[in-house]
Amino acid sequence: MTVARSLAPIDLNDAKSFGSGIPHEAFATMRATPGLTWTPDAAEHGKGFWSVTRQTDLVTVSRDPETYSSAVGHIQIYDIDEDALDARASMIDMDPPMHTRLRRLVSSAFTPRHVQAYRTSIRARVDAALDALQTARGGDWVSTVAAPIPIGVICDLMGVPEADHRYLIELSDHLVAGTGNEPLDPDAYGNTVDLRLLPFNSPAAFAMSAYADQLAERRRAEIVAGHATDDLVTKLLEAEVEGERLSPEEFANFFRLMIFAGNETTRSAMAHLALHWHHFADQFARARHDRTLVASLTDEVIRYSSPILYFRRTVTKPTELSGTPLAAGDKVVMWYASADFDETIWESPLEFLAARPSVPPHVAFGGGGAHFCLGASLARLEISELIDEMLDRDLRFASVGEPVFVESNFVNGIEHLGVRL
Amino acid sequence: MSDDVVLVVVDTDACIGGGQCEMLEDATFVLDEDTMVSSITSDGTLPRARAELVVDRCPGRAISIVEPSPA
Repeated sequence: MTVARSLAPIDLNDAKSFGSGIPHEAFATMRATPGLTWTPDAAEHGKGFWSVTRQTDLVTVSRDPETYSSAVGHIQIYDIDEDALDARASMIDMDPPMHTRLRRLVSSAFTPRHVQAYRTSIRARVDAALDALQTARGGDWVSTVAAPIPIGVICDLMGVPEADHRYLIELSDHLVAGTGNEPLDPDAYGNTVDLRLLPFNSPAAFAMSAYADQLAERRRAEIVAGHATDDLVTKLLEAEVEGERLSPEEFANFFRLMIFAGNETTRSAMAHLALHWHHFADQFARARHDRTLVASLTDEVIRYSSPILYFRRTVTKPTELSGTPLAAGDKVVMWYASADFDETIWESPLEFLAARPSVPPHVAFGGGGAHFCLGASLARLEISELIDEMLDRDLRFASVGEPVFVESNFVNGIEHLGVRL
Repeated sequence: MSDDVVLVVVDTDACIGGGQCEMLEDATFVLDEDTMVSSITSDGTLPRARAELVVDRCPGRAISIVEPSPA
């Protein structure tokens, strides 16, 4: 017997469904539908999946890794083979306790207290970016402001030299292209690996691993020579998990995750910030004389931009969520971009407000649980420093062009955004 | 009653070092710089509303409230 399933009103597999931003209407329909909504099997994406769109359900899934696993199956919608899962695994693809052991290797650099040490260097990067924009009296907000700041900050933490930042931005962009509809050139960057074994099926992942290997080589030589650098790459090379060093593959996967996660998400939020700044100028004006609002504005930018649209979990045992029975192996997709506009949680969710209360928190960093965004405090600091400096400079846009969105159902990125001062 | 005082404890195996507790209540929680595990620096008591907030925000679900609170 087949039980009638409520179907998602749009094709969530199709990056084009996200081509002009978050599909708010479709998500609102799904939130109002009892139980979870179903998207049927699709050739290139594998088995069908359940969508979690309400915030309370999303929090339940996030906090129960024994039932909703990151290690079983892929964390993106499309299914991949077991060997591909192994080849690309980093801590984001693991469950506790292994995830916890790896996370602790780097988490000291990202605590709310520790990130304060980066404030001065972040502000210097913000200054340089806004100087460049103002000198040119405008330009592409993404390549001038939103991209260089976060890649600079995460590369500083990792110990990547400034001269290589542009290359890593390029590779990171190519990784995101792997979440779109277009096929990728398997030979790009001298790739020799089967694309299905690479994150986002992207040859850029191969290039990033090669870069990580080279950097590791240099750092190892420094360690041997007795003048180790105080950066995360060195820390990862020296770290032991249960008495063992990370293998070259584990190290490369870790490096790639940190660069991608530290770069792409904050860049997206900063790109959207320019739109918010222009369209909701009255809300930012409130902060001009009350800088305590910068903190809540920062979280509103993050909620409203929802840089990561979803992560997937795979059900490990029979259970039920919101009245929908789930079987082991079922794919469950948490749409952060929906939960942060859940009208049962948020008052006027589509309004951008300077002073939203911090309780309940948004779930753009995740709904709690082991995978809560490692870089949350760093992202908040970067975005708040940018807002603070924009206020200091009384930055005003004469005009803002139409944003060109990244074609992806996974990230809510903006490729280009022309602004004139 | 929401203004009573409760005792909080940290499950050090579950702690993922997210630092949310320290951010919210830095007089009560501190993360060890080497092990990245949270521990309690005070007598571990907090107003119930604050304790519930910290429990809710802990990404590792490592903090819990001990009932009933000792006087």
